[in-house]
Amino acid sequence: MALVTELTDFKGWDEMFTFEGVRDRYRQVFESLMGMSVESLNRKDRQASDFFMNQGITFTVYADNEGIERIFPFDIIPRIITGSEWDMISAGIEQRLKALNMFLADIYHGQHIIRDGVIPARLIATCPHFLKEAVGIKVPHNIYVHISGIDLIRGADGVFYVLEDNLRTPSGVSYMLENREVTKRIFPEMLPHNRVRSINSYPLELNNILASLSPRQVEQPNVVLLTPGIFNSAYYEHTFLARQMGIPLVEGRDLVVDNHKVYMKTTTGLQQVDVVYRRMDDDFIDPLVFRPESILGVPGIMSAYRKGNVALVNAVGNGVADDKAVYAYVPDMIKYYLNEEAILPNVPTYRMENEDEREHVLANLESMVVKQTNQSGGYGMVMGNKATQQELENVKISILNNPRNFIAQPIIQLSTVPCLINGRLVPRHVDLRPYALCGADGIKIVPGGLTRVALREGSLVVNSSQGGGSKDTWVID
Amino acid sequence: MSMLSRIADNLFWLHRYMERADGLILTLRNTYILSFDKDIYETVAYQPLLHAFTGLNHEKAALLEHDIPKLLQFVVCDNANPNSMRSLVGKARENARGSQDKITKELWEQVNAMYHYLHQPDMPKLLLEPEALTCIDHLQQQCLLYNGIVDSTMPRGLGWSFMNIGKYIERCLQTVNLTDSYFGAIGYQTNGQEDLIFWRRLLLSLSGYELYLKNNRGNAHSRQILAQVVTNPDFPRSVIYALQRIEKYLQDVTHDNPIREVVALQKQFGRLRSLVEYTDVNMLDSQNLRPLLQNVRQQTWEFSSALSKIFFSYT
Repeated sequence: MALVTELTDFKGWDEMFTFEGVRDRYRQVFESLMGMSVESLNRKDRQASDFFMNQGITFTVYADNEGIERIFPFDIIPRIITGSEWDMISAGIEQRLKALNMFLADIYHGQHIIRDGVIPARLIATCPHFLKEAVGIKVPHNIYVHISGIDLIRGADGVFYVLEDNLRTPSGVSYMLENREVTKRIFPEMLPHNRVRSINSYPLELNNILASLSPRQVEQPNVVLLTPGIFNSAYYEHTFLARQMGIPLVEGRDLVVDNHKVYMKTTTGLQQVDVVYRRMDDDFIDPLVFRPESILGVPGIMSAYRKGNVALVNAVGNGVADDKAVYAYVPDMIKYYLNEEAILPNVPTYRMENEDEREHVLANLESMVVKQTNQSGGYGMVMGNKATQQELENVKISILNNPRNFIAQPIIQLSTVPCLINGRLVPRHVDLRPYALCGADGIKIVPGGLTRVALREGSLVVNSSQGGGSKDTWVID
Repeated sequence: MSMLSRIADNLFWLHRYMERADGLILTLRNTYILSFDKDIYETVAYQPLLHAFTGLNHEKAALLEHDIPKLLQFVVCDNANPNSMRSLVGKARENARGSQDKITKELWEQVNAMYHYLHQPDMPKLLLEPEALTCIDHLQQQCLLYNGIVDSTMPRGLGWSFMNIGKYIERCLQTVNLTDSYFGAIGYQTNGQEDLIFWRRLLLSLSGYELYLKNNRGNAHSRQILAQVVTNPDFPRSVIYALQRIEKYLQDVTHDNPIREVVALQKQFGRLRSLVEYTDVNMLDSQNLRPLLQNVRQQTWEFSSALSKIFFSYT
């Protein structure tokens, strides 16, 4: 096909091309693509869309009082990472999660890290996700973060940086797995030729970890996946994981707490539940303890959790560790708990409660991205180079009113990967979210993860709520 | 063996709505094709369909009967009609979505594909003649495919049993309602002189025309048809066949079930089944046919509601 690559004014890192030509890792894929016609690629693109549509991997948009179902855009050109790059990423994430788990155990028990002056007490005290209800609760194997998604980006220097940690209910892992299934269908010959590492053990690993957390020593503990219900945007993922693990998918109304034990309502009466993989935020999980108006959660489940009669996954209160202001301290945590230097660097982050850093940021707002510390999904974020003068002024006022609520980072030019858009290959910015599982036997990270792509030209925002799509991610040897 | 009450509820309604959709499209297709023939019974036309499958009163039904494109749209893709194909498949899909981890991928994809077909924006246009029949044919094929997929992929177990109880409750009610409509049109006469052209409409709507031709001779159609649609245990859309299937699946879900109320439910069902099983078709006449059909319908409703209370009450 006639490849059109618009790299002429390119300043960043492209995953496929250098100015000298195609990178080694992409050589085979590039040659295969060159052998295909535009029509054939477009056909594969449609085939992929049909796959997602028929499986109901959709979200609903409303227009004229009628719900129309759309798929999350999938780009058929894979994103490739080499085995040696991956081994470094994997070691970096493992190190980071070890430190974050130790931090959570510490912060909800002895709080040594505060006493030793590594993290200011004020920072934790003002974090809305630090839950006093979780203080002193003993969790199985001292693991708080069982399931995580660490967002990485690659800068113009080719280095992977950690952009943020997702330690509560990270989503997207079903897309990682389904993207691979689609690739198998549309490019069946490419995967074995490129020796792509397999990712399909994820649900089994997850199931083993969940079962190992059962407080009752029974042969087959009752493990359930708790979903907010069919209107949740990640509902497809909840059904997917429940199905892949063979565990019941329950809603809050299916569960009841009696005498500090959790039961599910079945056709033969009540059955005790041992482990709950919950896909809802702390705020909603128990109306008796947190938001009283929540109808999604299970009244009394926190009392069962506190007594150790049920395991909740991830643990309650993890939000304090993935707060955007606490993020800035993760390299310090790694040093403090593990006495190691961080393998994966953070993106330089300015803490707005620090006067020097605040002044520097306010003077250079145009080249900064300002984020609210308690927001995610691309919300509460202002890109200095795209914002209007009025928006910048508003941000300034907000920062000055509540500095703890904001951080700022220099705008990093995310790396690009070619995407098939309107029959042409054009570069678009991507990030990478690998998924890690922590159990008593250590940390397992499936080789790959979800590559999210900003499909709008020039955009650096990859979130699906903001026009983002995704790609299959290959780790090749 | 047990399953979540909510899932049991979802599966029951998934299959029940799909059975209603299946019956509706079968009836619609046959009625529509027969409407191309001028015959003396064309006055009956769509009345049984509208009576058995919609909540329209007589006046509204009569108005609609004179505007076939509008009628087709009302029955197939009107969001305001809770029993249109679109609404039924939509509700089935909601139930499938809520129990997605308990149904097979193939089943989910089939319901989902039907949903997207029925929700395409130009659906009303597809129902304008002459393409209407293509569209109706397609939907009927999809319903058959759904039933085939359920049969060949769903594991047998509690979920299967609840699905089938839902399906056969629905089937029992459909047959009763359609039978009631056709006999109602002739004053519940069981010795009437209506020829087979009249009864063909009912038989085709129940996929029972060929079976009837094979099994019956003579002109006493009304009574013979009654025997087929109510008490013939080999006819898969007869009332007694549906009840026998319910009995089997009810045994499966109540077996070893510690809930106390299941005994009362079994007895309640036993009374309903006996009512039909010990009915002598030869004794039915214009006086007792209508009460019999009403009684079966009422008892089926009550059984369905008692079943929900015992197994599905999770809120």
